[in-house]
Amino acid sequence: MTHSLHFTDLEKGQAFARLPLTVTNEDVDAYLESTGESSEPWRELVPPIYLDAIAIATLLSTVAIPKGVMHTGQEHESHRAARIGEPLTLEMRVSAMSERRGAIMAAFEAELTDAQDASVSSMKISVMALPDGVTA
Amino acid sequence: MSVPASFEVSRLIDQPRVDRYAVAARDPNPIHRETPEAYEGPFGQPVAHGMIVLGMVSEAMTQAFGPAWAETGTVKVRWRTPGLTPFTATARAELKKDVDGIATYDVTCTDDRGETLLTGTATVRHA
Repeated sequence: MTHSLHFTDLEKGQAFARLPLTVTNEDVDAYLESTGESSEPWRELVPPIYLDAIAIATLLSTVAIPKGVMHTGQEHESHRAARIGEPLTLEMRVSAMSERRGAIMAAFEAELTDAQDASVSSMKISVMALPDGVTA
Repeated sequence: MSVPASFEVSRLIDQPRVDRYAVAARDPNPIHRETPEAYEGPFGQPVAHGMIVLGMVSEAMTQAFGPAWAETGTVKVRWRTPGLTPFTATARAELKKDVDGIATYDVTCTDDRGETLLTGTATVRHA
C-alpha cells in the first residue's frame, strides 16, 4: 500500500483527507455479517460504528502507521443517522499529537457531512505509538 | 418513557470472524490475523479489532433504543485489554442517569477470562 503521509510527519490541526462517501447495502451487509449483528435494524440506516470503521480505514490508507501502534480510544457522536445510499463527505484532521518518553499519542477527528453540508456524525480516533523496541 | 436499567449482548469472537471483519472494514493490520507479525508482536498471537467489541456496544444500544441510537447516540470508550482470539465477549450497558430525555449508560465489554476489554459511556435521546 502506498501512503501519501507518514505518521511522524503529521502536525496538530493538519487536514489530511476529504473524500466523497456513499455507503451501499452491500457494504453494510458485509460489515454486519463480519460482526455478527443482525441486519434487520439496518435496512435503511448505516450502523453508526461502521462509519467509524470507514474513518479508520481512511486513516490507514492515507497515513503510514508504524508497527505496534495501538488504537486506544474511540468517540462517536451522531447528529442524525446516515442513510444507506446517500452522498456524504468525510473529512479528517489531526486533533492532537504529542510525545512522552518516546511514545507518540495522536488523535484524529473525522466529520461526516451530507449534501447540504450539515453534520451527520463526528468521530475521534485515539492511538498510541510506542518507541521502537518497546512492546506493550 | 422509562429506559432499561441494564442490557447486554454476548458473542463468540473467533479468528474467522476477525478475518472477515478485516476485509469488511478494510483494516489490513497484520496483528489481527494469523501472521508472523501477530505472533512476534507484543501479545504473542492475533488480537481482535477493538472496533468489533465496540460494535457490540452499539448493537446493544440498538436493541434497547432502535433507530434513536443511530439518530442521536454518542459513545466514548477506551480500550483496556486486547481481545485474544477466541473469546466470548459480553458488551453491557448500565444506566447511570436519565435526565431531560437523555439516558446515559456506563458501558463495558468483558471476555470470558474475566478481562475488561473496554470501558466508556454512551448516551441516547429517547424523548
